[in-house]
Amino acid sequence: MIKTDLWPSIEPLLLEIERPSRYIGSEWGSLRKEQAYADLVMIYPDTYELGQANQAMRILVNAVNATEGLAAERAYLPAVDMIDAMRERGIPMFSLESCAPVSEFDVVGITLPHELAATNVLEILDISGIALHAIDRAEDDPIVIAGGPCVFNPEPYAPFFDAMLIGEGEEHVPEVLEMVARLKGEGASRDEILFKLSQIEGTYVPSLYEVVGEQVAQDVGSWVRPRDLGRSDGGRAPEKIAKRIFEGFAQSDAWEPMIVPFAEVVHDRLNVEVLRGCARRCRFCQAGMMYRPVRERSAANIVSAVKRGIEQTGYEEVSLTSLSSTDHSQIETILTDLNREFSGKGVRISIPSQRLDSFGVHMAELVAGAKKGGLTFAPEAGTQRLRDVINKNVSEEDLFSSIDAACKAGWRRVKLYFMIGLPTETDDDIKGIASLAQRAYDRMKSATPEEQRGSLRMVVSVAVFVPKSQTPFQWDGQISSDETLRRVSLLKCSVKYKAIQVNYHDPKTSLIEAVMSRGARNISSLLEAAWKRGARFDAWTEHFDEQAWVCAADECGIDMRELAQRSYDTDRVMEWEHISCGVDRGYLARERDLAQKGITTHDCTYDVCTSCGVCPNLKVKNEIAGDRSLLSPTDTAVMERCYE
Amino acid sequence: MNDRRFRLRVTYSIEGRLSMLSHLELARTLERIVRRAGLPFAVSNGFSPHMKISFGSALPVGVGGRHEIFDLQLVDYISLDKVKAALVAATAPGIEILDCKYIENSEAAASVALPVSVYEAVLSGPIDSLDVPDEIEVKRKKKDRIVNVSDHLVGGVDIDADTVTFTLVALDTGSLRPDVFMKACLFQTFGDDEGSKAPVHVLRITRIDQRSAVRC
Repeated sequence: MIKTDLWPSIEPLLLEIERPSRYIGSEWGSLRKEQAYADLVMIYPDTYELGQANQAMRILVNAVNATEGLAAERAYLPAVDMIDAMRERGIPMFSLESCAPVSEFDVVGITLPHELAATNVLEILDISGIALHAIDRAEDDPIVIAGGPCVFNPEPYAPFFDAMLIGEGEEHVPEVLEMVARLKGEGASRDEILFKLSQIEGTYVPSLYEVVGEQVAQDVGSWVRPRDLGRSDGGRAPEKIAKRIFEGFAQSDAWEPMIVPFAEVVHDRLNVEVLRGCARRCRFCQAGMMYRPVRERSAANIVSAVKRGIEQTGYEEVSLTSLSSTDHSQIETILTDLNREFSGKGVRISIPSQRLDSFGVHMAELVAGAKKGGLTFAPEAGTQRLRDVINKNVSEEDLFSSIDAACKAGWRRVKLYFMIGLPTETDDDIKGIASLAQRAYDRMKSATPEEQRGSLRMVVSVAVFVPKSQTPFQWDGQISSDETLRRVSLLKCSVKYKAIQVNYHDPKTSLIEAVMSRGARNISSLLEAAWKRGARFDAWTEHFDEQAWVCAADECGIDMRELAQRSYDTDRVMEWEHISCGVDRGYLARERDLAQKGITTHDCTYDVCTSCGVCPNLKVKNEIAGDRSLLSPTDTAVMERCYE
Repeated sequence: MNDRRFRLRVTYSIEGRLSMLSHLELARTLERIVRRAGLPFAVSNGFSPHMKISFGSALPVGVGGRHEIFDLQLVDYISLDKVKAALVAATAPGIEILDCKYIENSEAAASVALPVSVYEAVLSGPIDSLDVPDEIEVKRKKKDRIVNVSDHLVGGVDIDADTVTFTLVALDTGSLRPDVFMKACLFQTFGDDEGSKAPVHVLRITRIDQRSAVRC
């Protein structure tokens, strides 16, 4: 199909708006595939600067383009000035490669990276001229799909999508696109296409389900029920949708071709994904549940990928990405090899997430060279008691020995991340943050030569706990904004050192995050009402419009605080239980129970299985490239007691 | 330190969509082209080493160029054919590598060597004449500035149907942007603010040549 070329109408706008290079495409590495019988436009629901480096965009566009007959292009939500200029002139949202209206693609895919991008989804559909509600779309409208972390509770978004793809999309997205193309070619109706999509493993087609009431949900264990579709074959959508896993991940080439942008973007560097999954089991962490099992790519694969990536992109920095890169069993070999390869070539190597121990610092030191910026550690909680509750298996001594090692190696700036409002938190835990930070600062001082102590800086950054679906803390409520502010001021009063700066995350947006994270299908009307009142770019402090949300909640009769703050018993069936990331419900309940008792659970990549259910449920296993060191016998003994 | 250095001057064009790049974006893009080309570029000493590359005078966003330059220091001699082939292979459409030559270390830096720029503006339709104002008020973030056109405009303004050609010189005290100049001329000629009622508007501006200063 020949698509409309919008460039002639976009070009004149570019001199009126900020940073026009975001809208011109034609970056190094971008691909425009002409010969295709079906195409996808992948959309990131925020601006180019924030979305360009997104791994899902990159991986899925590559996966589709690598499939014969299929093509994928990219689009990003334009910035506010550009959106307004486009609306004024009636120009719809466009793809970067062809400058074609997104509504002319067979499939429109929107990734849902975090809860505060929700109103942007509606903004995208609206400026694209696509009906907001899936049921209002016409036969030849594109099939609109979603994926990414937020689909693990798809309900608040459900009415806006034709299909939602749960889990890893490397194989799933091309399958969906092929299915759409084949059925369209056969002249199948939209209803038929949607039904067939629902039969592809890991695909949730919300319109094929009816929402049941609280009582039924609690009785039958799910808030949605596949509708009787009146099909002659009696076919229905599946009752439960389990996430997809790309089983070839560990063996697949770690060099994932990437686009080199003109505009300055976040994470503007070569990103090489070294492993997927994390088995540390922090009980608040959705990513830890979502991306199981742990799969490491081999050192040889990674080193070769970095070499080719640097050659082909011209980047001067590479980041070894994953949830926990220093947990890679061969990380030392990888970093040593890369250092040898790039010495004297001005290529920087970075690891985004550091393990909180001296090994983590040693690894950071391997790549830092002469220039040492800041080191970031995430103890998450201020007392050992609370760290045991959340299963952050680090001790004060781990933190202190990391700090000693960092300052001896020449670092002078340290950032510490904490959460407040965690389940069971008391004022002692808040004071514990101040005490821990101050004692850590004392350690910084004693590990730093006296004449350099003036340059020591510490930032304590606190975020509000947001209960996430599919985690042991999904049943735990968030603290109120007032309580957040009280705890923050208690923390600020408790920090006596002037050299320690305390930052905190705005509790108003944390409330919206919790609402979107825990909401049921009725939250979609709140979302739509908030967007109609002008909410968009909620993650941007300068654009966040609290009033739009508050008024929308009034209008819809939804109590956002109740939704965010309520705690439930573990036997309550939650609104997303038809979606499974492979982890057993019983495991989540057990983990929450252990949390209440302050008992920790170990990492199964270092020790025996902890029976979360992912491996048997999804017929997969951890794939460790080398050997992750075993815990000492005493630690193991303590861990095992958890399961008596 | 007695490093061997080979100073390379590369001439290139940048047109079409890529004329939307800012000077900083263009600089980063050229650096990455050099890295991809695998040339043995020199690196500065010091705390944060960077490529020894320098860029010609900046083009305003939206203005393309057919005779742009950057200078690069190499630590090994590479034949010019090889340099050019490597750069061409590493460059995406929109930028075209035109010429490479080695220059003396004593030559002036790319940014000051060629202060005279010849621009070509293509209009949406033909015009017969264009009035050049004596002064142009240039809006800046902090305060406005009055620019004396005769300080910058070298020679006259050539009109050939829809194409206007003119030459501007950059001074130590500042320069006059070609887009600002054209807008002022259209306003002077047709007297309409924003040019919305003017019979023509500017479609695109390209710097077609850069020269060293001619002292009279």
